Amino acid sequence: MDTAAFSAWIREFARLVGQNKDYLTELDSAIGDADHGANMTRGLNAVVKMLDEEKPDTPSALLKRTGMTLVSTVGGASGPLYGTAFLRMAAAAGDAETLDDGTFAKMLRAGLDGVLARGKAQLGDKTMVDALTPAVDALDATLAAGMPFPDAMQAALRAGEEGRDATVPLVARKGRASYLGERSAGHQDPGATSVTMLLAAAATTLTA
Amino acid sequence: MVGLVVVSHSHALAEAAVALAAEMLHGQDVPLEIAAGLDETTFGTDAMAITEAITAADRGDGVVVLMDLGSAVLSAELALDLLDDDALRDRVTLCPAPLVEGLVAAAVAAASGASRDEVAAEAAAGLAGKQSQLGTPVEAGQVDDAAGHEGVLLTVTNPHGLHARPAARLVAEVRAFDAKVELRNRTTSSAWVPASSLSRVATLGALKGHDLEVRATGRQSTEAVEAVLALAARAFDESPDTVNSAPYLTPASPTVRVAADPNSPPGFAAPAAPAAPAVSAAPAVSAAPAVSAVPSDRQPPSAAPSSSSAEPQTPTSPPFFNEISVKSGEAAQEGRGSAGAAVGSGEAAQEGRGSAGAAVGSGAAAWEGDASPSAALGSGPASRGVGASPGVAIGAVWRARAAPVEIPEISSQGAAAEWARVAAAIGTVQAELRGIDDQSGIFEAHLQLLDDDDLLDDVRARVADGAAAPNAWAGAAERVAGEFDALADPYLKARAADVRAVADQVLRAILGVAATSLDGTGVLIAADLTPAETAGLDPANVTGLLLADGSPTSHAAIIARTRGIPAIVGLGPALLDLPDGTLVAFDGGTGEIVAGPTEEVLAQFRERARDQEQRRAESLGRAAGPALTGDGVTILVGANIGSLNDALGAIGADLAGLVRTEFLFLDRDAAPGVDEQVATYREIANALGGRRITLRTLDVGGDKPLRYLPGPVEQNPFLGVRGLRHSLDHPQLFADQLLAIATVAREVPVSVMFPMVSTVDELLRARQMLDEAIAKAGPVREDLQVGIMIEVPAAALKAAAFAPHVDFFSIGTNDLTQYTLAAERGNPALARLADGLDPGVLRLIEMTCRAAGERVLVAVCGELAADEIAIPLLIDLGVRELSVAPPLIPATKEAVRSTTVDAASASAALGLPGAGDVRASRKE
Repeated sequence: MDTAAFSAWIREFARLVGQNKDYLTELDSAIGDADHGANMTRGLNAVVKMLDEEKPDTPSALLKRTGMTLVSTVGGASGPLYGTAFLRMAAAAGDAETLDDGTFAKMLRAGLDGVLARGKAQLGDKTMVDALTPAVDALDATLAAGMPFPDAMQAALRAGEEGRDATVPLVARKGRASYLGERSAGHQDPGATSVTMLLAAAATTLTA
Repeated sequence: MVGLVVVSHSHALAEAAVALAAEMLHGQDVPLEIAAGLDETTFGTDAMAITEAITAADRGDGVVVLMDLGSAVLSAELALDLLDDDALRDRVTLCPAPLVEGLVAAAVAAASGASRDEVAAEAAAGLAGKQSQLGTPVEAGQVDDAAGHEGVLLTVTNPHGLHARPAARLVAEVRAFDAKVELRNRTTSSAWVPASSLSRVATLGALKGHDLEVRATGRQSTEAVEAVLALAARAFDESPDTVNSAPYLTPASPTVRVAADPNSPPGFAAPAAPAAPAVSAAPAVSAAPAVSAVPSDRQPPSAAPSSSSAEPQTPTSPPFFNEISVKSGEAAQEGRGSAGAAVGSGEAAQEGRGSAGAAVGSGAAAWEGDASPSAALGSGPASRGVGASPGVAIGAVWRARAAPVEIPEISSQGAAAEWARVAAAIGTVQAELRGIDDQSGIFEAHLQLLDDDDLLDDVRARVADGAAAPNAWAGAAERVAGEFDALADPYLKARAADVRAVADQVLRAILGVAATSLDGTGVLIAADLTPAETAGLDPANVTGLLLADGSPTSHAAIIARTRGIPAIVGLGPALLDLPDGTLVAFDGGTGEIVAGPTEEVLAQFRERARDQEQRRAESLGRAAGPALTGDGVTILVGANIGSLNDALGAIGADLAGLVRTEFLFLDRDAAPGVDEQVATYREIANALGGRRITLRTLDVGGDKPLRYLPGPVEQNPFLGVRGLRHSLDHPQLFADQLLAIATVAREVPVSVMFPMVSTVDELLRARQMLDEAIAKAGPVREDLQVGIMIEVPAAALKAAAFAPHVDFFSIGTNDLTQYTLAAERGNPALARLADGLDPGVLRLIEMTCRAAGERVLVAVCGELAADEIAIPLLIDLGVRELSVAPPLIPATKEAVRSTTVDAASASAALGLPGAGDVRASRKE
């Protein structure tokens, strides 16, 4: 995976989020402040513009600039959370011009660790962690089992989707949704939804 | 002077708060910076802006940051990480004080020259005035002059309460003193527990905001209480980096997520669907007694989440089940959904007995694998759990021998000897646990338990009282587990399982009883498997895995998937009543399962297994074979290659339909020489093993600039100097590449492809340079082919003019779509517009194919080539080569094989108004 592949990944993420802006906002309006779709779209539009203008020349540089751009343009909690994830991924990517499967998996794990450290959420808190954790676990496990990357990424996506779907019955313990208490149950978490799009984008763009 | 930074979602709010604070300053100059809102009116926080504000506010004495809520806190924490100046970072305090009160108090303190800690403390105490006015008790955690007295209050401020890390920190702290320190949770009115025991501290269930009382006796009691209060004030030294790796009380396995919903059975997380209809729908069996037989400690069926929400448990079963119900005889036809009904083969079902937990008979029954324990015994004609690992499995069930170990009636050989047995067993288990690759952190938690004061003291006491090692150990462990059971917080409650798991392991070690045996063959059934157990499964013997609990995201499920062991989880406790040796057949993909299947049902499952295996093997196996349409037209399926790795992964490709040579040129400081290019093209050719490679000449430009050939900044790089235009503008670079290509074309079948061609003149100039390169390289193979990309609409429209000069056209549908619809493909707002199935694009493809005639091959190398809806259409239009990403080759070939050429259908599509209409018409 080279810089171009990462660029395609992030652009695809931006496309998916943009396409689902209203859906994300709708999810967020059920249990949050109805800004997730708008915030993420604003941030990712800025990222795409950055990619067009700056053309970072390594995966790490690209991820770093993506993180920094999100930090400054998203506005809500997703800004520091996604921002931290991308910055940690950038650090894990090192100076390499191309990344192999294992490094990518490590990178994704580093991103997850960043989200955990920043948001202090745990599994079951009804957050993006609930989708990202099983996905990262699945990617590690399937790669360790010798599965080729595209299949492994598909497995990771599936695990992420399952994790996302499993946020529905949960009671939120983090973020604005936690103010709703029990009333947050029965709604899918917007953060888990958008992070699954990040995985979906990886599954379609990084496996070519 | 200490500087202040105000972080808020709202710029207006921050400005106003600062104005309020300024009123208190009477003109004194306190460095006060604002980082609030994305702009004047847009709510949001920006970590970069906070970093800048901190830097601006610092005059060497440090900075106190006050925040409003949510992302303001996260962004402020991130801002600290982003500070380049480590020394400055150490001078920053993120203060949890309320924003307005805190800012006013902090401003006054800062103006008086107070230190950073004093300013932060003043701010944090900013609520005191309001609290005393309103009669709310001031947080006692801040009142440390009460130290030394019994029952001093502290408030837990840690976000996750007193979980593993902070609790461990607390335990370590109090152990350092010569004092007996005790805690109790005043909020929950808990009993006093020793602060020196991690497990006991955990039983306090201390969550954020809870008030704890601390007291101590002994020589250093005062110091100990002071230390605890100080520790609590520091949030038990919990930092962002440690909070999430907390090993012991932190849920470490995905199964724990479930516990967040107290109504969920352990280990299950799936969208809710009421299971009640299954019961009320029972046509013949008296359902009510069955329901009432459900033990009262189970949840009501209506609260049971069920992953089988896609399968409403109504009398209208899916066809597959109906089939089974007809064929599986007497048992199946009756007992639909009666929770707890015993289904023997025969009379039991007729009677619909409501005894919960009765066995599912082996005659011809199947049961409903509902996730809810209460409804799990619904003995319908069919059943289904949560498919957790795909694949069909048929086999006799066997179970993990996890029955409780018998504790023998033996007498103590003396306290020392018995303790030594316990200690030796603990040592053995510790060694085992350390040997496990513990990515989950679960085993670290177990290890910590084995070192737990409270547990070990209890064991010692029991041994001293004359108990033998096994009894002492089992009794103490069960007491600790029982205390977890009694907790209200589901996270902590779930830790009882950890205690029991590790206790069982130690007990087996004491007794020399082998651990749970998992070396049977066939279909393994169990309540749940620990990660360690799952990791030890041998896929050669375990043909399938059925779990009463568990979720598809559990470690057991993930490991089963990676090992290719078909698995269903969430089948409910009825599963465990299946007698050993019962034949079951199930599909881990769909979650369908039948126990005691009839021959017909077995045959269906066998056939399904064969089908699945065959499909998998076939699409892989047939990837290498040619792709012919149903009516025998050969379609070449090629690989798009952007690296040597891609080339190595191009399994089943008939050729490399597109080699993006840019990868050789980008991200470096000088152009690759001819020799390097030759070597790389050769490697790609080798990887393709003699199959044709289509080398596209350099496709760079304003959108993909070369560092060593910087061009002028273009207003619109996609409409600028790119592709062949760029190459013709840089003749030396182009000549070198053509020479390298010509050299390789002497050895292997090569196609040369020029990108971004708009005019015939461009093509002719390029061809002339290619001829010059060939003259220089020496005679090339006769099968050298020359073609162009069709990306510019003008080229498609003029395809007839290009055709005499080329051997092939390769349609780059991504760019062609972007240019035809004037919709940049990277712009998410235009995603719906930029669909290659737009009839406008299709007409250009059709025009290109028509102009190509018989001699000129038309390929598609854009995303459309792997689009299963587009493939038949492209073939209908006359496309005869599809070049796709290497992993998509098998599926693309399969899609080709399942279509037949139908020109009429294609022309119908051309007449439709939009891409959506085309997609809809093709799905019909």
